[in-house]
Amino acid sequence: MFEFFNQSEVIKVIIIIGSMSIFFVGLFGLVTQKHIIKTFISIAIMESSVFLLFIGLSYKQSFLAPILTDGQQNFNNMNDPIPQAMILTAIVIGMAVLALGVSFAIEYYKLTGKTDIDEMTTLKG
Amino acid sequence: MIGFLILCTFIGIIIIAFASVTQKKLSNAIILFMGVGLGSVILFFIFKAPDVALTEAVIGSGISSLIFLIALKHLKGKR
Amino acid sequence: MSLKRDLPTSTISGFALSASLILTILNILLHNIPNNIQTAGDELLKLNATEGVANAVTTVVVYFRGFDTLGEIAVLFIASLGLGLMLDENKQCDLKAKSNFMLQTASKLLFPIIMLFGIYVMVYGHLSPGGGFQGGVIIASGILLLLISFNEFEVPHSVVSLLEIFAGASYVIIGLIGLLVLDRFLGNFLPNDISNMGMLLSGGIIPIIYIIVGIKVGSEMSVISENLIKRCEDV
Repeated sequence: MFEFFNQSEVIKVIIIIGSMSIFFVGLFGLVTQKHIIKTFISIAIMESSVFLLFIGLSYKQSFLAPILTDGQQNFNNMNDPIPQAMILTAIVIGMAVLALGVSFAIEYYKLTGKTDIDEMTTLKG
Repeated sequence: MIGFLILCTFIGIIIIAFASVTQKKLSNAIILFMGVGLGSVILFFIFKAPDVALTEAVIGSGISSLIFLIALKHLKGKR
Repeated sequence: MSLKRDLPTSTISGFALSASLILTILNILLHNIPNNIQTAGDELLKLNATEGVANAVTTVVVYFRGFDTLGEIAVLFIASLGLGLMLDENKQCDLKAKSNFMLQTASKLLFPIIMLFGIYVMVYGHLSPGGGFQGGVIIASGILLLLISFNEFEVPHSVVSLLEIFAGASYVIIGLIGLLVLDRFLGNFLPNDISNMGMLLSGGIIPIIYIIVGIKVGSEMSVISENLIKRCEDV
């Protein structure tokens, strides 16, 4: 029964549909939720879905992690290191940008006392 | 077997993410968001990307949630 | 602004349109999945064997895409700068909840272990999973633990700014030395013999640059978390 899921095409379909579903869950939260922290959580969920899609599409079942360990002589039959390097830096940058956005939210709350994004209509402080 | 594991982890992440964005209480939402990060770590490890898995474990489910909790502490204060 | 008011027409048509678009994209994607594609990563993996570093991701991050990593560090610096400018500087206070005895004792016990683990992950980045980004953030999380548990603890700003200046400058200086000695920016001018692959001292400048990245990321994340915790409005 489980052998059906081990085909590489089926795994790719699972990865694409799954990460798209996570993206749309984040989009749903972004549209329907009102609190600003919820907005940031939704954006973070959408980010992680994109990371999953990137890493998942470079995954081959019979290949190894791109790290040389004992008993290996060369870098044959290893996964593509470029998407991993890109996502590695993207996660760190995403976290720093998230901290910046949260600081904007804190400062706005200090100035106006609002956390509801529907009420954030004033541009002046 | 590995494909079934990937499918189950994806379904779990989707359920936890939906619960996180529809949660009324904000601290519960942040803790469920940590769960999304944990599921991502498992998937990155299955996808043979241990560097990304370590990064996501430290950042996605560690420091990000702490930043959210500190922000919640600030927002819930006065007024 | 509410979704319920205009549900019947526009929402349903929007859903139908996006669903058909998704189905089309999926159809295109699923019929064109290449199987044995020759990617740029294969070429890089072949090149990686000449540098003497066991972790291929480290080589890609630090060496083949080293200039991009310099840009990423600049982005981190700008984010930390913007956060420090955004939050009010003059008004400082503690978070209201005073930490209890158990948290203080446990953080005293855990802090050296967290720092040791962070330095280990940072230094062994070219041999095992890990590296400067992860190790720096682990060190910053240790400092965040101290910030939460002790109200009077402060990050030493003179030391942190010195570390940050040193790290940022030495990244560029090592790159320029590579430009002088070899023909390109960030050339690997230190000995990088393949026979040493897997040893701690291998790979030439690659582990040194990753340690520099770790110092930079760790100091910036410590400053970000201190700013987030300490600067709130007084009652």
